[in-house]
Amino acid sequence: MSAAVQPLPEINPLQDYLRFDRHVPPCAVVIFGASGDLSKRKLLPSLYRLFYERRISPNFAVVGSSRTPMSDEQFREKMKESVAKFLEDAPFDEDVWRSFAQSLYYVAGDLNNPASYDDIHQKLEEIEKTHETAGNVLFYLSTQPSHYAEAIQELGEHDLTHGNGWRRVIIEKPFGHDLASARKLNEEIHKVFDESEIYRIDHYLGKETVQNILAFRFGNGIFEPLWNRRYIDHVQITAAESIGVEGRGGYYQEAGALRDMIQNHLSQVMATVAMEPPTVFDAANVRDERAKLLRAVRVMKHDEVPEYAVAGQYGPAKVGGQDLLGFRQEPSVDPEAQTDTYAAVTFFIDNWRWADIPFYIRTGKRMPKRVTDIAIQFGAPPLGLFKQETKTGLREARPNVLVLRIQPEEGISLRFLSKSPGSGMRLRPVSMDFNYGSSFGERSPTAYETLLMDAMAGDATLYTRQDMVDASWQIVQPILDVWGSTKFDFPNYPSGTWGPKASDEMLARQGHVWRVP
Amino acid sequence: MSSAVIFPAQPEQILKGLGKLWTSLGQEEKHQGRPTVLRACAMTLIAATDEEDSGFSASQTISELMREHPSRGIVLAVSQQAERGVEARILAQCWKPFGKAQQICCEQIEITSRPENWPNIGPILIGLTAADLPVVLWCRHKAALSPSATADQKAGLLAVMNLATKIIIDTKGEDATQAIELLAKWRAERRLVADLEWTRLTRWRQPIAQIFDNPSTDSSFSKFGSIEVSYTDEKPCPSVFYIAGWLSAPYGAKVAFKKVEGYGPGLHGITLRSPSETIEFERTSCDCMSLRSTKGRERKYNFNDSTLYTLMNEELSVLGPDPAFNAAFARAEELLDGR
Repeated sequence: MSAAVQPLPEINPLQDYLRFDRHVPPCAVVIFGASGDLSKRKLLPSLYRLFYERRISPNFAVVGSSRTPMSDEQFREKMKESVAKFLEDAPFDEDVWRSFAQSLYYVAGDLNNPASYDDIHQKLEEIEKTHETAGNVLFYLSTQPSHYAEAIQELGEHDLTHGNGWRRVIIEKPFGHDLASARKLNEEIHKVFDESEIYRIDHYLGKETVQNILAFRFGNGIFEPLWNRRYIDHVQITAAESIGVEGRGGYYQEAGALRDMIQNHLSQVMATVAMEPPTVFDAANVRDERAKLLRAVRVMKHDEVPEYAVAGQYGPAKVGGQDLLGFRQEPSVDPEAQTDTYAAVTFFIDNWRWADIPFYIRTGKRMPKRVTDIAIQFGAPPLGLFKQETKTGLREARPNVLVLRIQPEEGISLRFLSKSPGSGMRLRPVSMDFNYGSSFGERSPTAYETLLMDAMAGDATLYTRQDMVDASWQIVQPILDVWGSTKFDFPNYPSGTWGPKASDEMLARQGHVWRVP
Repeated sequence: MSSAVIFPAQPEQILKGLGKLWTSLGQEEKHQGRPTVLRACAMTLIAATDEEDSGFSASQTISELMREHPSRGIVLAVSQQAERGVEARILAQCWKPFGKAQQICCEQIEITSRPENWPNIGPILIGLTAADLPVVLWCRHKAALSPSATADQKAGLLAVMNLATKIIIDTKGEDATQAIELLAKWRAERRLVADLEWTRLTRWRQPIAQIFDNPSTDSSFSKFGSIEVSYTDEKPCPSVFYIAGWLSAPYGAKVAFKKVEGYGPGLHGITLRSPSETIEFERTSCDCMSLRSTKGRERKYNFNDSTLYTLMNEELSVLGPDPAFNAAFARAEELLDGR
């Protein structure tokens, strides 16, 4: 018996990827949690911007949904204020807004109330006719994570997951609060959506500079030969915020820095820096390599956690004449909270490329400045020829650092030693800089613009897959287990500093020091 | 900010002038105590103009392009008014990105020569291109396409062309046979040549291509074996052959050309025929194109104005080979030969 062979769909021979705008098919975007912060600050400004740049189809509509009762007109007014306020690096255009607003609709309803889904169903049917959206629908769950499973189940029960076109769902992190809950959530989602329809968003992967890591590594011939344990001494990934929890104390108290940043954003960044080259640059291959890398990260034993992971919590301080609260003094925070507002972890990747090379990751709130970067520290030259002749009299042990700056000033710099002018062989570190802003005058799309476009176009390259989420939970789970049963002597770093002393000691044990970004 | 006239217009003098310009821009930084100016350069963009053009519109367009394509801009103008044979002027083009305090600046060099000095322009430029970066020549000099260009004009142009990694010309309004033959000759010399007449077709090509993005089986592009291209000029212009070449290249579809009355100049409409469907694209006004098909598809597309800025902006984004143009051009040559 032979199975019928389906002919492959014809690849459009007229497509011109060099010149044509990326084509996004007609669709409706349903945002659950539409009156929330994420919608106001990121989602609607990004959709407006894509509309402004004519990157999305004219056959497009947004259906906002949340508990607050509102008419379409009220929703449009509210979103107009938000877009005008939160639009990044671009002016607000009143005429464009009027046109965009005609595609905005609102359905009031509770995620727990089945009737709300009937209303959304009805609204989508109307929109499919009036806006000719071809039955394509992208659901965006911008709600409390505890509602994800329930909302997805309701979408299935109300037949919203099938229609004339494709159906996709975007889920915001956190994907679970530990390994077991992440697996449970995945099970629930898979009852309704196929993995190919699920877009788990990690906005760090949508940042231009994170995408540029792949271009930098695999588009150039000179770096990849050095990108291994033979030439690289260690890697430092820093994501520092100068602000505190800013009114999110209640949420943050449950999450903590390790869950909030390292389990998702920074482990994905590490995977991007360390992954093997994909054979083809497409969603499946890129994600396979990321997943493979995460699976190669050594999972700590519980008794290793104190040596390779440090938790911190900020205390009160006076910075620049201003009194800053400690975490425990923040509103809605337990005065005895054991939450980590700072986390630093040493990871090892057990594969041929990276064996025994430490990857240090740190993240924290109330640090001296807001900065996210990746520093690739290259090894020392084999012979210290100039060690007696530097200005300070000390040899710069490992002079070469490649810094990939993610925010705030995106760019890449390479530090190396150079001879100072004048007699004698005095060396001084200098920096070779590439700055995104000046080399590409055009504005970079925000991470949410990129990721929303990708989801509408069906490109999941920058979204995380179930196995990646699973692997990243596996590597932090032992730390969570140990920290969960430890009573810390918090606070252990004052606001406005680079974290607890134990973090410096963790690096010192490997003969390294944190750089000052 | 611009300099006085630099004479003699020798590379060392001009580069010294640029050095001074950047030093003076840097002085502002010293006063303010923080970086205020960032120098940006991703290519050398040379605009070769002639007496009729006198460099003005090219200079203006290069200024506009600096944001997307920061470059060392060099405008070559030919004018009897260049009192000392060849003279130069340098200036900085600066802008401040939205919401940023720091200005981004690019340098522009304007070189004006008397017609008799034009053949000697090449050696000046050799010393002025930015090291290790692409050199794009935007050729607006009539000698590029005119069969009646003088030997001096041709020699000057050839010297500039030899520096370029990419040459951009515009065959709008030119005789198709002559223009395509000339481009074919340059391409045979392994020069990377682009034509703004091809760039103008993007607004036609994009909507046509989109129709075949997700086709049902019976309307896939391979089924459309017959193509008709209509135009409004007396003779078909290069863009008519380009679009025909582009549509015919994938499967070698037959092409018919037809002169019609209608909106133009140049390309007016395209009809694609398959056994089960006919799709027509027609320019219905100066800023609108309509789509009609026998299966009831109907749509209107707005044509945005193709300004020199928009065309150049697109063309500078494609610095390497352009496979779609290469295939279309090769087929256009065959169609021109009646094959």
